[in-house]
Amino acid sequence: MIVVNEIRKKFHDIEAVSNISTEIHEGQVFGLVGTNGAGKSTFLRILAGVLKPDSGTVTIDDEVVFENEAVKRSIFFIADEQYYFPNVTAKGMCDYYALMYPEFDRDKFIKLAKTFGLNGEHKINTFSKGMKRQVSMLLGICANTKYLFCDETFDGLDPVMRQAVKSMLAEEIINREFTPVIASHNMRELEDICDHVGLLHKGGILFTRELDDMKQHIHKIQCVIKEQEVELELLRELKVLKSVRLGSLLTITVRGSREEIRRKIEAKNPLFYELLPLTLEEIFISETEGVGYDIKRFVF
Amino acid sequence: MIVLNYQDRRPIYEQVVEKFQILIIKGVLKPDEQMPSVRKLAIELSLNPNTIQRAFSVLEAQGYIYSIKGRGNFVSPQNDFLLERKKEVYKRFEEVVVQALNIGFDKTVLVECVNNTAERGVL
Repeated sequence: MIVVNEIRKKFHDIEAVSNISTEIHEGQVFGLVGTNGAGKSTFLRILAGVLKPDSGTVTIDDEVVFENEAVKRSIFFIADEQYYFPNVTAKGMCDYYALMYPEFDRDKFIKLAKTFGLNGEHKINTFSKGMKRQVSMLLGICANTKYLFCDETFDGLDPVMRQAVKSMLAEEIINREFTPVIASHNMRELEDICDHVGLLHKGGILFTRELDDMKQHIHKIQCVIKEQEVELELLRELKVLKSVRLGSLLTITVRGSREEIRRKIEAKNPLFYELLPLTLEEIFISETEGVGYDIKRFVF
Repeated sequence: MIVLNYQDRRPIYEQVVEKFQILIIKGVLKPDEQMPSVRKLAIELSLNPNTIQRAFSVLEAQGYIYSIKGRGNFVSPQNDFLLERKKEVYKRFEEVVVQALNIGFDKTVLVECVNNTAERGVL
């Protein structure tokens, strides 16, 4: 289990991470999403023990991560920008990681590289961005570590590869004790593979929640209600995050369960109404809007 | 075996549940036939295995499937779930009929609609 307790990290006068506390349990697939510059990468680098937090603690299986070799053996970290030795081949990297990670499965790497059409004898610096990502992902999977931290997970991967990566992760989750933490802006992919999601904004964590639970507790309603007073009454009764009106059509984003919302609307005798769950992308937008991260500020 | 609709906004496990309900009701999956394994489905659909597991738990609670420890999940032989489902659909149909009559539909038009739809056959 990963326990993060009130960590802060400053770079000069910029506070990249300000007071994050959270827990990630074994067997969870944790998706990390957040606005640009929210501190996702810094957070992952602290989790992986690359950076030391200014204050607060990070423990993995009850041990502090920073400069702790034993714990680090159970972690594989795929950074946003991957670093490979100059002129190294994919096989060379495999040999290197096999030295670091006792559980590294070389045969599996060679087999997977072949399926992915990556030539192990070729130099990695001749590879495209997406291919480099693939190499990192394969190394991360084959290291057989209990934890995998992956930044910008689906960045640069084509749709087929994104499916393949998700399938690979699924297989590992079934086969062994495996807890991946994956950061990405690709909400669609995260929705498929994650069961928990943490949303970061401005160095803090807005919330962490179970994905299905989250989807069942936020809805978009489109409705037409004849009398304005009744409409206002409805808006007061519901937990409204956002409401937009276009002519007589009212579109509102609301917290609450489907049944509860349905009951309240039907009591108002609407001419028409439709209740839609939100996609993760829409949840992201409405939640960050709630804290002032609004697209209207960027468009004129 | 099943295909997910990425435009569908519902939680994914709900979609998985619905797709298997249809397969079972339509008899594509026969009574006592083994369900595909969680592992196979997760890898095939690129989904979190826990999502599939959750869908299977719901299907089991609704009586569509039963599980044997160490052997996997199987389609239930009884028709209880079909009966339940029929009751549910019938109730919804009743509601729609009432709504239609309320907004001034003629009874004959509705009967005609039922006949026409039935003639077109089921999916």
